[in-house]
Amino acid sequence: MIIALLTLPLSLLGMQQQGSPIAARLAGRVPPDVVALVEELGTAAATRGLPVDPLIQKAIEGSAKGVPSDRVAAALRLVVAQLGTAAAALQDAGVVSDTLVIAAGGFAVTAGLSGHDITALARTGASVPALTVGLRVAGTLAAMGVPSAENIGLISTKLRSGQPTDDLLLVPAHVQAEIARGVTPAQAAAGLERAAAAQARRGPPPSRGTPPPHPPTPPHP
Amino acid sequence: MSEHEFHPSVKQLLDGDITIADLPPELRAEGDEALRLLAAVDRSPVQLPAVSRRVMRAVAARPARSVWRGVVKPRELRLRIRPWLLAPALAIAAALIVFLRTAPTAAPASLVTVRFMLVAPDAREVTLAGTFNQWDAHATPLIRSGPTGVWTATLTLPAGQHQYAFVVDGVRWVPDPGAPAVNDGFGRRNSVLTL
Repeated sequence: MIIALLTLPLSLLGMQQQGSPIAARLAGRVPPDVVALVEELGTAAATRGLPVDPLIQKAIEGSAKGVPSDRVAAALRLVVAQLGTAAAALQDAGVVSDTLVIAAGGFAVTAGLSGHDITALARTGASVPALTVGLRVAGTLAAMGVPSAENIGLISTKLRSGQPTDDLLLVPAHVQAEIARGVTPAQAAAGLERAAAAQARRGPPPSRGTPPPHPPTPPHP
Repeated sequence: MSEHEFHPSVKQLLDGDITIADLPPELRAEGDEALRLLAAVDRSPVQLPAVSRRVMRAVAARPARSVWRGVVKPRELRLRIRPWLLAPALAIAAALIVFLRTAPTAAPASLVTVRFMLVAPDAREVTLAGTFNQWDAHATPLIRSGPTGVWTATLTLPAGQHQYAFVVDGVRWVPDPGAPAVNDGFGRRNSVLTL
């Protein structure tokens, strides 16, 4: 009883001295005006259920790269917009999203995917953790130059097949290997999608860790 | 029960202290009657079912004690504080605060070992900055291997998504030529690593 009575005021005192978590993470790394902006945007984002960490990371990145505060501010607002797009797209699909999957969707938007693409992936019925990985991989494929149609087709097929997320994480390496053989990113993704669909028709792979079948060689342009 | 009082010698007989032969002749008839009465006593155990049934019925009929009522019922609480106990109590409270503020709140993510490589023959220094080291351009130096200008670093990173760039000679931010990249929002490109 005595300990509890003594702990409460001391804990409150410690919390007051610590300040907000955002300011604590940015202290000494970012100019004060950027700290204030991140706190403002971050508080508003948190009330909307959006993740705050991408904002903190972007502010630290801008400061580390020597970017002027006004450009950092513009980048921060862009990040909030991308996270908002992702959250709305997930909501359209009826996904009860957490901050991780929204952050993954925000990255996918940064990489070039649209809200409709995110909704399409979310409607595959994949679990939220699998969808999170799927969005990250789809964003990576977009950064590799895979067009949206082939990208979403491939990742949707993979998510519907219920394969382990470890296999999903191998997709960029497989696409890269096909590109190294001389096909376009679109052809590589389309070939992998056909292979994944064929495998899904045959049933699940016999055991986890089995290497995926090599996709049929797409026709050369 | 009659009000009849036996002779003290007869009482001795009933107590087993003497036998009927020890009694004087004028008391033997009284002694025989006393022994007869004693033998007629029923020593079988007495059953009183009605009593136990009444007790159990009363217990069953007793209302269950409400936990909520026990919580909200006002009680008199007397708190006595011994001054010499305050010092250890404060020490324990401080230790609890330190423990609660430093205890990990989430399970660690799975880790993946990654090797980064950049060919930069003319560079004097190459470092790695990204989301995994708070974009600290001095935290993760690459090591030059031989005269070929190949710079490498091997890191163990948590599973997830990371963005990064190489920093050449402390000023030039260079995306990884072997990895996909996205716009960083500042007019440059960040490399992407999905684990």
